Amino acid sequence: MAGPIWKGSIGFGLVNVPVELVTASRDLDYHFRELHETDGAPVRHQRFCSKEGKEVRWDEIGRGIEVGGKMVVLTDRELEDVQPDRSQTIEIESFAGLDEVDPIYFDRPYFLRPGNRSDGTLRAYSLLVEAMRGSDQVAIGRFVMRTKEYLAAVRERDGVLALSTMRYEDEIRSTDFLPQIDRRPAKEAVKDAIAVIDERAVEWDPSRYTDCYRLRLKHVIDSKRKGETVKAPEPHDEEDLKPAPDLMAALRKTLAKRNSGKSTSGKPEAKGDISRLSRDELYRRAQEKKVEGRSSMSKEELAKALRNK
Amino acid sequence: MAARSIWNGTLNFGLVKVPVKLYSATESHTIRFREVHAKDGAPLEHRRMCSAEDKEVEYGEIVKGYEVDEDEYLVLDPEEIKAAAGDRGKVVNLDEFVDAEDIDPVFFEKTYYAGFRDDPEPYALLQSALEKSEKAGIGRFSFHKREYLVAVRSREGVITLHTLKFHDEVVRGEELKVPAAKKAPSKKEISMADKLIEGLKEPFDPGQYKDEYKAAVENLIEAKAKGSKPRLDKAKKRSTPDDLGSALEASLEAQGAKS
Repeated sequence: MAGPIWKGSIGFGLVNVPVELVTASRDLDYHFRELHETDGAPVRHQRFCSKEGKEVRWDEIGRGIEVGGKMVVLTDRELEDVQPDRSQTIEIESFAGLDEVDPIYFDRPYFLRPGNRSDGTLRAYSLLVEAMRGSDQVAIGRFVMRTKEYLAAVRERDGVLALSTMRYEDEIRSTDFLPQIDRRPAKEAVKDAIAVIDERAVEWDPSRYTDCYRLRLKHVIDSKRKGETVKAPEPHDEEDLKPAPDLMAALRKTLAKRNSGKSTSGKPEAKGDISRLSRDELYRRAQEKKVEGRSSMSKEELAKALRNK
Repeated sequence: MAARSIWNGTLNFGLVKVPVKLYSATESHTIRFREVHAKDGAPLEHRRMCSAEDKEVEYGEIVKGYEVDEDEYLVLDPEEIKAAAGDRGKVVNLDEFVDAEDIDPVFFEKTYYAGFRDDPEPYALLQSALEKSEKAGIGRFSFHKREYLVAVRSREGVITLHTLKFHDEVVRGEELKVPAAKKAPSKKEISMADKLIEGLKEPFDPGQYKDEYKAAVENLIEAKAKGSKPRLDKAKKRSTPDDLGSALEASLEAQGAKS
């Protein structure tokens, strides 16, 4: 587990719990390094003063901002000086129901872990966890990290305190600029559309979805290591620019298609039904059946390969 | 506000096609500083230097390498990296729908608003159906040469697309291995904490929170631009109480006195 990116405490009434902030997301992406083509040596980024043309060391860097054509330089010391009290403490200001907070507000996920192992700290920490466990409540507070003040939502997740930084209200754009819909859809059509949605309803289970981009990149890297090259595939699901002329007919057809599929066989394994499965489900089956080259296959290719097995 | 769409494409559900334009739903208002040379205020230039020759490298002479072993790189062509981008084109197929509130907030990343393109009818239909069913359609979205998992739902009458994290990118709380306290908090302490929470409950109103630090930094910038420096009070320290029970009692008393 990576080290803490912030240390301080969380204040709840007069209870003050020393905590450390650690990230709750994992970077699983493949990262590339810039190389000099002629000799394959890694490229370094060096900072040069645009005035003197000389290299600038880390401790000579300042934060500049242009005001009326003039560069104002701020030092870290000056920025620290104007920090609010919240620089050391996440002060809980209120509690709200988790369902009241629209997901659009959530920015980055972190965990808060106890700042030390003293029994007093661990007890106060577990008090906060227990008080929030199963209540679907989030504590709203603010704190300062580096040079920014963050709005934060703290709640219990997996038996520990989870913190999400949040966007401020003025960082959420108004939807006024979007084209306005002047006509409500017909009731019948909405009913049919909901029927289409309900037929495709599943439980939210994030483990069903794999990062195909990551898989394909791995496949490209592995193939290249073996001396093979991989060609870019042509886009499959190209946009069909002709919209269905009759919305109701498209809905009815969608419903009819699904219903007839059901009547021939209840089992999704029936060959005719395989194309209805998600790419992830097809991929999982391809893994079971050890279909070769599956990681770079599209949904259609996976379906075809599985039919032929 | 100049609204520029970032993506034109189609949301598909069943045989219904919903042509849309996507717009960023959020904008950062963080003060952006430039890196400058502190002593003369001159902006810094980033130069790419070859680590073997210690010479500047032109952008056109740069290739991308993946480190397969220490200091051993596998060079990939742009074409090969493109091969990984996927084949989904400008279409998001909503194959599955889940209860929108079941998706834990930890999964949400960026948010986009969808506006209809050409024909408002299919848009209005999908928006109404998502709103009434309180479902989110799950699909894949190709953008900027990579593929994202997305949840598409209705928010305040607008079809809204959220990019989502994959499950293995989310750290589980158990991985923190937080040690248990020797003596767990008592029932009485937990019920006092519950009361404190009850007293602090209020409807979520994001508008009441302003970035005060940003305002302070803006004042500082203004003052420095004029050649002066504002004076500020020192932050007051708060003591950490040793006795959890009495701290809770005192908190409740303070809360009772306020209301």
